[in-house]
Amino acid sequence: MVRIRDRDVAAFEAIYDAYHRLVYGIALRMLGDSAAAEDLTQSVFLKIWSSPESFISGNFGAWVSRVTRNRALDVLRSRAVRAEDEMPNDIPLEGSIDDVVFARIDGDRVRAALAALPSEQRTLIEMGFFGGVTHEEIARRTATPLGTVKTRIRAGLRKLRAALGTGVAT
Amino acid sequence: MDQVAALALGILPAKEARRVRMQIALDEELFSTYHGFRGTADLIGYSAEAEPAEINELQRVRMKSQVMKAVRAQSMRGAPMPLARAGFAGPAYAVAAAALVAAFIATFDNVSIRRDLTAQQRATSTLQAQVSAQSKLAATERTQIADLFAPDSIHYPVSGGEVVTREGRVYIAMRTLPKLPAGKVFQVWTLAHGAKAVAPSITFTPNASGSAIVRLPAQPHQPAAVAISIEPEGGSKAPTSKPTFIRPLS
Repeated sequence: MVRIRDRDVAAFEAIYDAYHRLVYGIALRMLGDSAAAEDLTQSVFLKIWSSPESFISGNFGAWVSRVTRNRALDVLRSRAVRAEDEMPNDIPLEGSIDDVVFARIDGDRVRAALAALPSEQRTLIEMGFFGGVTHEEIARRTATPLGTVKTRIRAGLRKLRAALGTGVAT
Repeated sequence: MDQVAALALGILPAKEARRVRMQIALDEELFSTYHGFRGTADLIGYSAEAEPAEINELQRVRMKSQVMKAVRAQSMRGAPMPLARAGFAGPAYAVAAAALVAAFIATFDNVSIRRDLTAQQRATSTLQAQVSAQSKLAATERTQIADLFAPDSIHYPVSGGEVVTREGRVYIAMRTLPKLPAGKVFQVWTLAHGAKAVAPSITFTPNASGSAIVRLPAQPHQPAAVAISIEPEGGSKAPTSKPTFIRPLS
């Protein structure tokens, strides 16, 4: 990112090659439309190029994942009035998830960890992250009490963290 | 904790999210828990990472060429270039208006949070000042106790108490002072070496049982003698009554 701040096009291209599948995949999952996902992918990467200072420090993959989700939420909001909260684009504390874990993370591993969750937890977490809806909306759609939704999400995140944190770092 | 997890996943309504963020900001444990959940939530996006085969060659080339074309153009001009496809972005004025509204909301939130923080900082400063004052008082009392009971302190008995000196500090420690008439106080007088008249020092009132410990203000030289007398409130420039005691410090 330091090189991108110095307007190094080659460095930007390397970033694009490394992360475009992640950005496109999140956009496609959230928007359900490949054309819109392409647009959003371009938008995210041009934002990275035009405002590299937006990324301060930490794990780039986590940051770009958040930026993509928030941009996808903007698109979803333009389709329907929503009031859910964005995930701030700031970075997690050092040590919240080891850099080693992040360095070795990939789609397969996270998919496997999610698949290992009880289905009632996995469904709620995926609806929350990719659906861009509030917990109340999740409760309504799944006909589950709000308190149960929140408790299952918390339990699911804990299990996910344990699975990814202990299973990856070596 | 459920609310913290929901915030980390980004599924709280905006108003509720602001409230939970405030709680997190004021609670170190919640803050740490939130960031743990956030780190995990950040990983969920990876589950959607497209497999290489999911983006066909044509699509891959098209996406990359459009991005790189825009980047290179910006690089040459040093200015942003609009997207090749920006269908969802809407008219420029609408985007600008939305940005303005978002900026106002963000500013309002920031001002509100700053105001809360300022109030908290003031309260913290006041408490710190109180703690500091209490600490100084405690230190003074510790010094006083040490002086009064130190083996190298010098004790000069007087009727109903004593005068104690140590390392230039002078105390008057009285156990049985007479009850003061209304509007009267005890006043300490000091006599400097070679002086012919006493100088006024501090005034004090004993507690209900008639005892008092007072430390005389620091002086360059220990006085040759000290005395106390009963004087009107506010003190006198010269004694107006017969001294309760006069004690040479030698």
